[in-house]
Amino acid sequence: MFKLAIKNILFYKGRSITTSVLTFVSTMLFVVFVSMQDGSHNAMLENSLKIYTGAIEIYHKEYRDVGGNEYLIQDVKTIIDKLSQIDAIEAVSARYETYGLLSSKGQSAASMVAGIEPSKERVLSSLYAALREGEFLSDTSGNCLYMGAELVKKLRLKMGEELAFVGSASDNSFAADIFKLCGVFKTGSFEFDSSSSFISRSYFDKLMNGENKASYIPVKIKNLDEVDALNSKIVEVLNDEELESLTWKTLMKTLVEAMEVDNIFGYISLSLFFVVIFFVIMIYGFVNVSSRIKEFGVLRCIGLSKSNIFLLLFYEIFILSSAAIVLAAPLAASICYYYSINPIVIEGIAEMYKDYGIVSDEVPFDFNIFTISWNLGVIYVLNFLSVIYPYMYINSFKPIEASRHV
Amino acid sequence: MIQLQNVNKYFYKGEPREVHALIDITLTIQDGEFTLFSGPSGCGKTTLLNAIGALDSIDSGEIYLDEKEIGSLSEDARTSIRLNAMGFVFQAYNLVPVLSVEENIGFIMKLRGFSDAQIKQRVLEVASMLEIDNKLSSLPHALSGGQQQRVAVARAVAAKPKFILADEPTANLDSKNSKALMDMMRELNEKEGVSILFASHDDYIHENVRRIIKMNDGAIVDA
Repeated sequence: MFKLAIKNILFYKGRSITTSVLTFVSTMLFVVFVSMQDGSHNAMLENSLKIYTGAIEIYHKEYRDVGGNEYLIQDVKTIIDKLSQIDAIEAVSARYETYGLLSSKGQSAASMVAGIEPSKERVLSSLYAALREGEFLSDTSGNCLYMGAELVKKLRLKMGEELAFVGSASDNSFAADIFKLCGVFKTGSFEFDSSSSFISRSYFDKLMNGENKASYIPVKIKNLDEVDALNSKIVEVLNDEELESLTWKTLMKTLVEAMEVDNIFGYISLSLFFVVIFFVIMIYGFVNVSSRIKEFGVLRCIGLSKSNIFLLLFYEIFILSSAAIVLAAPLAASICYYYSINPIVIEGIAEMYKDYGIVSDEVPFDFNIFTISWNLGVIYVLNFLSVIYPYMYINSFKPIEASRHV
Repeated sequence: MIQLQNVNKYFYKGEPREVHALIDITLTIQDGEFTLFSGPSGCGKTTLLNAIGALDSIDSGEIYLDEKEIGSLSEDARTSIRLNAMGFVFQAYNLVPVLSVEENIGFIMKLRGFSDAQIKQRVLEVASMLEIDNKLSSLPHALSGGQQQRVAVARAVAAKPKFILADEPTANLDSKNSKALMDMMRELNEKEGVSILFASHDDYIHENVRRIIKMNDGAIVDA
């Protein structure tokens, strides 16, 4: 049957080429589509985590739900020491966040003011990379404030100008100081850029009486895929019931929900894609088979069984789809690989999706051999399924009727 | 031996246009016969040939092939009968277009599991007998009608079936080729001992068969 299938393929060249081209195009589109969708999700996640949120953050248990200075993490140094023993952690730092009133000469605005460790923050987040004007903080930058561009606009500040801060210290006492605008950042996230400002912890801790305390401890990990396993490890290492270690999936619920919604639409698109591929291949296969009813009828008359006929059709589609997939797979993989390194730029996409943490117009593709492999498997399965109806159609004829079919 | 007992076949059964195509056919065909079913168009010759050849089902009665009842078998079982016991020669040749003459002749032997050496030897033998041994590598479309029909006969006879059923085998051939084909069929019948059943109007076949079964309106009128 295999030899007969090959001879059929070679004899009916036009039909064979068309079938292969359809499979080739379907494979290309499918692999590239999935790569693009996965890539945009990864970018969405990576961008969001890069700005400020850690892949994992450690809190005192009531801090996120109740809030307040009594739920600050104490003895931060011991916790950092414990965390530094875990190899899979790339960077860890302690942040002291508070909310206060910032006042320039003419304007006031509520803002998050966070005391950060500038040298560690360069590795941990994209705050340093987001610098637009002035300079980033250093451990000795004193009362220098590093402020989001939208907040700077709101307060109508110029570089080097002073502004007043009024807030509450860690012991709930009144805290007030004069800061100086030394640097402006822009991450692209409007909400973040309009409500955040940073200051070196070495200075801020004294003002807030926050030495060895932290609002939370963000952790950057080497491999994002291992976040759940690493989170369990952190809980085990800390062994402190008052602390909770949360992954980005909990921390960024909005993003997770957005990705889930996008996934649902992605799966719907994929389903439609499957249906289109399936029907295109099946209808073409059906038309082919319809034009060969007499041929199959003759074969049945002279002794080919139904299973022989199925095997013949199966071999034909297997050979044609294999040829198409063998050609399409490296090409599609190359496209995915190329665009994973050189992302496509879609002007305005960051603006459109800024609420979801998208800060770049670049849409990188995902290059993942496992994903490409299952994509190819799906195309194979669709091709094989597309044989079933034409096969049933052939068998609806009696052999002798089919052999007389015109 | 083939035996038919009270075989009936209807087309469009239960519909207003119902046709009683075979009416109580009872008949015995011995091994080695060279037999013609004759009669006017629409008398049931081809329908009877198809029933005997396990190509079509019947509505009532029994058909025995060497004492095995084949009329009520499933399509799969009938396929096996066709493969192992029957050879077919069709009016329109019905060769497999993608296979060479050699492959067409050996096709049924291949399906029946003969070895490549056995197939090659038998194909050469049959092709030589039918004088198509110089066309073995050709594809069917490169052959004349007469040559294609010889290939069809060679395919039918190569696997040494007990019966060859030939439905209007000369209808598309000129008189010279018809005569040549009949001479070859007779030779095969005599040399190979294969039973050959024809359905035909051809006068030359009438003159050369040993038994004529006349039919009219679905019934046998003279066996």
